[in-house]
Amino acid sequence: MERDNHQEGEAQGVKICDPPSERKPPDTLATSLSLLGNHMFPDPVERNNSTTDKEEPADLHLSDVTAQEQSLDAEPPSNQVKKLETEEAENSECQSNESAETTDRGAEDAADRVTEDAAAVDNDQSDSGEFVVTMLAKAKLEEQGIGVKGRSSPLLEAGTQESPAFMSHRDEDVTADSWRQHRKHVFVLSEAGKPIYSRYGSEEALSSTMGVMMALVSFVQSGDNIIRSVYSEQHTVVFLQKGPLVLVCVSSSRQSEQQLRGELLYVYYQIISMLTQASISRIFEHKKNYDLRRLLAGSEKILDGLLNLVDSDPSFLLAAIHCLPLASSLRDSLSQILQKAITPNLVFSILIAKNQLLTIVQEKTVIEDTRLEPADVHLLLNLIGASSAFQAGEIWTPICLPLFNPDCYFYAYISYLDPPECTVCLLLLSTDKEAFYAVAECKRKIEEAMVAQNSLSLIAKAQSYSVSQVGVSDLRHFMYKPFDVPDNYRQLSQFTSPEMEAPYSSEEEKMRLLDLYRYMHSRIHSTSRPLKLIYHVAERETLLAWVTSKFELYTCFSPLVTKACAITAITKLLRWIKKEEDRLFIRYPPKYSTTPNPSKSSRGGKSDQQDSTDNGFLSLL
Amino acid sequence: MPETSKMKKPDVKVVLLGDMNVGKTSLLHRYTERKFKDTISTVGGAFFLKQWGPYNISIWDTAGREQFHGLGSMYCRGAAAIILTYDVTNWQSLAELEERFLSLTDTANHDCIYAVVGNKADLTDPTAQQSQDTDGMSEDQTECEDRTEPEVLSTSLTSSASPKQVTHEDAMALYGRILRYKGLEEKSSLPAEKMCFETSAKTGYNVDTLFETLFDLVLPSILRKRNEYQESPTVDLEECRGGSSKRARSSCC
Repeated sequence: MERDNHQEGEAQGVKICDPPSERKPPDTLATSLSLLGNHMFPDPVERNNSTTDKEEPADLHLSDVTAQEQSLDAEPPSNQVKKLETEEAENSECQSNESAETTDRGAEDAADRVTEDAAAVDNDQSDSGEFVVTMLAKAKLEEQGIGVKGRSSPLLEAGTQESPAFMSHRDEDVTADSWRQHRKHVFVLSEAGKPIYSRYGSEEALSSTMGVMMALVSFVQSGDNIIRSVYSEQHTVVFLQKGPLVLVCVSSSRQSEQQLRGELLYVYYQIISMLTQASISRIFEHKKNYDLRRLLAGSEKILDGLLNLVDSDPSFLLAAIHCLPLASSLRDSLSQILQKAITPNLVFSILIAKNQLLTIVQEKTVIEDTRLEPADVHLLLNLIGASSAFQAGEIWTPICLPLFNPDCYFYAYISYLDPPECTVCLLLLSTDKEAFYAVAECKRKIEEAMVAQNSLSLIAKAQSYSVSQVGVSDLRHFMYKPFDVPDNYRQLSQFTSPEMEAPYSSEEEKMRLLDLYRYMHSRIHSTSRPLKLIYHVAERETLLAWVTSKFELYTCFSPLVTKACAITAITKLLRWIKKEEDRLFIRYPPKYSTTPNPSKSSRGGKSDQQDSTDNGFLSLL
Repeated sequence: MPETSKMKKPDVKVVLLGDMNVGKTSLLHRYTERKFKDTISTVGGAFFLKQWGPYNISIWDTAGREQFHGLGSMYCRGAAAIILTYDVTNWQSLAELEERFLSLTDTANHDCIYAVVGNKADLTDPTAQQSQDTDGMSEDQTECEDRTEPEVLSTSLTSSASPKQVTHEDAMALYGRILRYKGLEEKSSLPAEKMCFETSAKTGYNVDTLFETLFDLVLPSILRKRNEYQESPTVDLEECRGGSSKRARSSCC
């Protein structure tokens, strides 16, 4: 993220935790993320306590970092960073400057944000008002038996241990202990308090719980305020209100509020992708207590799948696309195949293998207009991954790309090219509802060309890489997200990362590493005190995260690595990535123009066909 | 181009319609894959090609969810046969056929034939519990443990106990009303006894009969279409070139 560290905390918050909404004016909720924390614990002692709570997760051994946290901005916590600083000039603006200012700035920010929340109310008033309301809300939670800290709380008192999240939990008993112990609950309800979705257990059984959630939301709202989060020892409860929908996350995952809110936003977008924002607003304008499950029934598995992916796939955290490493010659030839198989109103051609992007070709006019956001691609990938029904036949379905245009549908053609293995999937997006047969014809052209070039077997050989290929001992894993991809004008954000190998081969260990990354990410992107560089000695590994104007990098080393070693390793790693760039990333996303040109759409897809033409204008949406 | 793509051009179109969770995808899956599995709620519509003798029959398996209604008429355009599916244990699913789905069939061919199919017969009818095809049986036992698709409202109340809520007579009465809606003479149309089925995708009961009866019945429609478009491939292309690309496309289905 090429953003200046000296930016206002607010702007940063929006960008990071809410990456998909960059183009839109920030939602009031999303704007004021960290505020609640400050206001919930206005007096320093309490605040310190809360911080301590947050810093004590069993699996995040924070060593010296914790100590700094507790000193709360009093000291520039840069001792471990200093050496690195000298190593890289870019690094000079490290956390020390920020943190020194944070205390004052925090207050200003707070005021700013509150103004935005409750424009009508004067700053101070709303400031304290919010605090009171939050406290009340807390009290109310306890009173209702959803207690925030109370031992009796049925909802929140739970072990932090995660349960296997990869199966359907629709029939779960919501009164059981095991239900409470889920690492991350997500609820969606309508403004009328009607349950729409629950990640675990049936929404119906949870209607009273959701009623309480809605009561909280509206109680705070009645004071011209917005409830954002509730912190307890074990759990963070995050609220997100989007139009007529309220999304709530109850998490013991120790993720930052921004991250959780970002995840809720993904859930919201996935709902939008199925129904469009316009139709949701229309429905609820019409009938406030509409039961949205009527329209979403059957889509639960898509939301379940999304939440599992969000937990297990760092693409969501980084707001970037992970593409499958591929020899650039092969990627180019695939792109050319897609480029040649076009029909009027076709706007995106996407080739996916093993749930990773192979290549993506976009309509020219469309890229000039808007780019495809990573979040939209994530939603598409999730839709494909979550629906095994796609593995047979050819699918034609309306789908909305919420960041592209939340109110309109594209029509998606989805088909696997290698049945019955079903690893290589073709996704063609058209703006023409009736274009199924024309688009299916494009698929046949693509299929033919791929047979001619033997592409499928070449794709089958492609695989993710091992970190050992980098040739740096002690380096166990990394995630690298460049900002300076060539042709970066309208370029799709991407990142690269090797397979997770031993010691991160089990699901638990993978999750533990991801949690560490999430922690590092939250520190780097903290709204109150963003960091440029963080060197973190954990119990079983050492991590180093570093963000510059050119890239964002997270690395994981064996625990005994020294700082000097780590720095040399990173230098080597960056050199290796530079060398492999063409293979690791889609460097020059190709384009086509689907100007209505009938002879092309109806005539064969022989490889001697010309490339796209330039004239005309695409009637988009 | 390519002979292959011409070869694959569908000759006739069959569409499965019906409320969600009645088992449209399962029916088709039973017929094409010879087994029953827990499917996921269909998104939009899925297109399949089935070789029936020398003919290509395209089958659209549509989503029962209201959410996808916008595309319903597109799926039905030019259909030669429409399978209206309900769940024998759920009265509402039959009512929905009339309320929501019948109007979607307006874009079908004039001579489109309609079948009314009550699925999940194994839940109510002992004879339907016996599998009709032998090859898929072994898998059934393991795969069909539960029918736990997301259940809503009325279905969740009724299907657990699964008494039969819709009789064969109800279905035949609906068939009569469909003909009336279409303005067809009952005498000159296919009789209700022939066009109302009770099936079980789970055991395979009546599934092959359903599809094969329909395929045989649509053959005349295929032949007529072939005669109409004797030089068909070139006609299509010319039309496309003429700029009316949308129309040309719809004519090819």
